[in-house]
Amino acid sequence: MIVPAFFAFAVGLLIILSRQVNGRLSLSSTALISSFWNHFVGFVALTALGLVIGGLIPDNLATIPWWVFTGGAIGVVFVASGSWLITRIGAVNSTLLVISGQMVTGVLLDYLRGVPINLWVSLLGIILIFAGMALTQRPK
Amino acid sequence: MTMPIAQRPSPLHLLAAFGSGGLLTMAVFVNGEAGRYGGPLFSSWLAHGVGTVVAVLILAVLWRSQRREAATARAAVGPAPLWAYLGGIFGAVTVMLTSVSVNSPLALAGTLALGLAGQVALSLAADFWGLLGLPKRRLDLRDAGAVILIASGSLLIILFGLGGAA
Repeated sequence: MIVPAFFAFAVGLLIILSRQVNGRLSLSSTALISSFWNHFVGFVALTALGLVIGGLIPDNLATIPWWVFTGGAIGVVFVASGSWLITRIGAVNSTLLVISGQMVTGVLLDYLRGVPINLWVSLLGIILIFAGMALTQRPK
Repeated sequence: MTMPIAQRPSPLHLLAAFGSGGLLTMAVFVNGEAGRYGGPLFSSWLAHGVGTVVAVLILAVLWRSQRREAATARAAVGPAPLWAYLGGIFGAVTVMLTSVSVNSPLALAGTLALGLAGQVALSLAADFWGLLGLPKRRLDLRDAGAVILIASGSLLIILFGLGGAA
């Protein structure tokens, strides 16, 4: 339990670290160029890992629906937007506002897909999040 | 080296960041499906591969303005340090650690909650000390209030709101 808990916490650290580092690269280039390097370097590293441990390409490749292949396209825009944001509003604001968007749209997605959710608790959570978002805005 | 000064978010920043979080929800969902077919390594590899191709295509269309913008930025700030190219490595490691944690007794809810704590902790430290070549930003009571409200709202949703998160 200790090791997975440490991993889960480390994932949070790595998400921010990655956004910081990509943000720094975007300062010397552009958010889009930085997003390219992020994906290219990750792809090379994962290809190397896959060649070592094997099993990179699943046998059921042909049965995968087309839209499952669009994750990377969404990722490019997501990473670019992260660099754009962190260099303008800082790490805390970027983190809080991106998490807010993720939580609210996550509840919405589950609700629309018919996944059973605790609606009232989720709505209370969304109200707290909106209040926090309002606080990040400039006073006056 | 002149760094831009971080500011309080304007409504435009707020919308962009909120939308960015929405993209993340979609990406997590789509990549999760890819993982269901081929496992976490395939999912991450596919997302990074497709992402590389898509980034090249967009850059090809916008190349003229992107090159000009990049040249201006580089002239103002100087070239990026080598470590700034390592963002993709962190992303790749993230995927592996996530899959270990999600498949432990922590499950998805525990993984998300602890991950949220890690994100907030490092963001606070990063702004406070101006880590990794990004601007330092003074934190005040409004920031503390926003952190508490958004973190507690998110934890409420993660731990008690979403289905299957018992």
